[in-house]
Amino acid sequence: MSVARQSLAMLLVNLSGVRERMASVLTIIIGVTCAVGVLVSMLAMGTGARRQEMGNVRADRVVLITSGARVWQSDISREEAAAVLELPGILKGSGGEPIVVPETEVPVEGRRRVLGNRIFFPLIGTTPTVTQYRPEMRFTGGRMFQTGLHELIAGNSCARQFTGFDIGDRRPIHGTDWTVVGHFDLGQDQQCFVFADVDSIMSTFSRNTYSSVSVRLQSPSDFDAFRDAVKGNPALHLEAKREREIMEDGFKELNAILNFVSYFVGTIMAIGATLGAVNSLYAIVDSRRRELATLRAIGFGPGPIVVSVLAESVLWALPGALLGCALSWALFNGLSASPFGYSFQLAVTPSLAVLGILWALGMGLLGGLLPALRAARVPVTTALRAI
Amino acid sequence: MKFLPLIWSGIWRKPGRTVLIFLQVCVAFALFGVLQGLKTGVEHLISEARADVLIVHGSLSLIDPLPLSLLERIKSVPGVKVVIPVELFGAIYQNPSQKLGLVAISPDEGWLSAFTFSIAPEYVAALRRIRTGTIIKEGLAKKYGWKVGDRIPLKSTVVQVDGSTDWAFDVVGTYTDADLGGANDTILINYSYFDEARVSGKGTVKHFNVAASDPKLAVTVADAIDRRFANSSSETRTESLRELAQSQLQSIGDLNFLIRAIVSAVLVALLFATATMTMQSIRERTPELAVLKTLGFTDGSVFVFVLAEAMVIFIAAGACGLASALLVFPFASRFVPGLSMPAVVVGVGLVCAALVALISAAVPALVAARLKIATALAVR
Repeated sequence: MSVARQSLAMLLVNLSGVRERMASVLTIIIGVTCAVGVLVSMLAMGTGARRQEMGNVRADRVVLITSGARVWQSDISREEAAAVLELPGILKGSGGEPIVVPETEVPVEGRRRVLGNRIFFPLIGTTPTVTQYRPEMRFTGGRMFQTGLHELIAGNSCARQFTGFDIGDRRPIHGTDWTVVGHFDLGQDQQCFVFADVDSIMSTFSRNTYSSVSVRLQSPSDFDAFRDAVKGNPALHLEAKREREIMEDGFKELNAILNFVSYFVGTIMAIGATLGAVNSLYAIVDSRRRELATLRAIGFGPGPIVVSVLAESVLWALPGALLGCALSWALFNGLSASPFGYSFQLAVTPSLAVLGILWALGMGLLGGLLPALRAARVPVTTALRAI
Repeated sequence: MKFLPLIWSGIWRKPGRTVLIFLQVCVAFALFGVLQGLKTGVEHLISEARADVLIVHGSLSLIDPLPLSLLERIKSVPGVKVVIPVELFGAIYQNPSQKLGLVAISPDEGWLSAFTFSIAPEYVAALRRIRTGTIIKEGLAKKYGWKVGDRIPLKSTVVQVDGSTDWAFDVVGTYTDADLGGANDTILINYSYFDEARVSGKGTVKHFNVAASDPKLAVTVADAIDRRFANSSSETRTESLRELAQSQLQSIGDLNFLIRAIVSAVLVALLFATATMTMQSIRERTPELAVLKTLGFTDGSVFVFVLAEAMVIFIAAGACGLASALLVFPFASRFVPGLSMPAVVVGVGLVCAALVALISAAVPALVAARLKIATALAVR
């Protein structure tokens, strides 16, 4: 009899006794369910955050910032911003003007509708061209702000979360009243954004430099030529980065924390579940000593016994993994969370489910190893003598 | 007490199984300890933050500079003890990766009461005497080997009157900061010297630190200050250090939910695992339990034995797990400073351990108590 056939036969024998050992089997399944469920749910925060950050990213968008600086340290003079208009490869808007959006950002305070607590969010100074730079931007009410006036337009998520963002509301910012004139949606992004005219903001906050200049290219393949043109222009101390790079930079830190916490908690829970599985499998093997000895006596080798116990362990871990993923999907997918003061929707994706299943396979294999070896070492004579 | 050896031998009847259960409980409570430690760390940060130190900054935005001229008007608000102007800027020492935060203050009479720093009086006197003096955070003295009398050259984005961006300060002393969230690489300098030396932004501050004469009145004082500047060109917003800590850590609500969800998942898994294990063990020990009863032990005492075994394992393992959580704290303090495990958490942890032990062992113990001697012995 080949090893494979012996193993299969052994596995079937193992499984035939499942009803008497239901409690032990359930222990393995529940342990794995909890471990996988928690790991997948926590990783879903990271995936959700990334999906939100990256959801709107387009390959034809480029952001210019001061060379070597991070976004918030960048200073771009008006002369430099004007010189950007002359660069090659920039998409022309409906009016024939190049789609170049100089922006600046100031933190302003909002008050949450629900709890009334304060939070700072970015007020972004931009130009009306932003609708062509961000084609995903869609007005749901009101109109665009007018240049030179103290007018604001607010993302719908802001209007929902904070007080004072209804159309017609006046908000005092830095000594002047700003009127809310429009509401918009920004693709998948759930973050709070408020836009106003960049020059009004700069004069209000007595600034004379932009923090970034965003450009839409004719096609993504123009990026290299555009970057070289920026580098080659002695008047520009800027570097061009794809929108994706800029987003990744800003996201790195949060991602590191989320991943650390998820894998830390996930690993500890996996260790617990594995210990539980080891104990249950030992109990199963112990209760079958006579049976195993009999099988050895009629010619089953130790190899197939090891394989069959390992296979059994993995087989019980798998439903746990599926159940864990399903629970995490049912309970948390699409739920909003803001564990670190930054809100996003949790996303349980197929790749996370695959990760959870692999994690469970690991638990099953590790947990099954020692019991499998003990099962293979059952001494035939002593075990049979016990009858 | 005389039954302790009996319970002890019951525990070690199958050493492998006991060790595994012990480890499992230990792991679960280590996780419990770390998560609760995170939570108490955050709560501790908030409650330790001083309520009597107020920060007066521009309303609606943290970046507006305020004119220094507000100082006298803030001082005249009833209940204000000390007002100190604070200007913040950054500089680098030798290379761009060695960043320093510079805090320019006026070391006026009683200024320390408006800060969380502790500084020896002679250092304060020296800072007052030497205009280019600086008091450095204790950790920096070790990090860069600076000592009193050294002159430290810095590069900053703040331009001096002569057009230079090179600054130099004389170390006159060191300080420690009671604020756990306080930055490590900061040095204190004289505001008057800095303000004269810089070319732009003269006469402005980032914020004022105010000490209230009575901590209980701090909220009223804060409101009074903001009222005084309402509808002026420099509206203010005054908050205590505690309120600031609170709003920085407002995500605590979600953190609590997360921790509760994880801890309950851990406990459910644990409960089930140990319940089946104890059941299994009772089944295997049926003949032994029958012998005990034959010897005259009552049903009740057998019930107690089984419960006691579980309790001993769980409480020992729970304590062990909580202790090992302490080992992780230094590592986790990278993310939240001031992690701690107060007695309450230890207490709650051990009570949880005892409860899980009781619940998981209750059914097996009942089964053991109800065993009929005749049928139990007949199993063999």
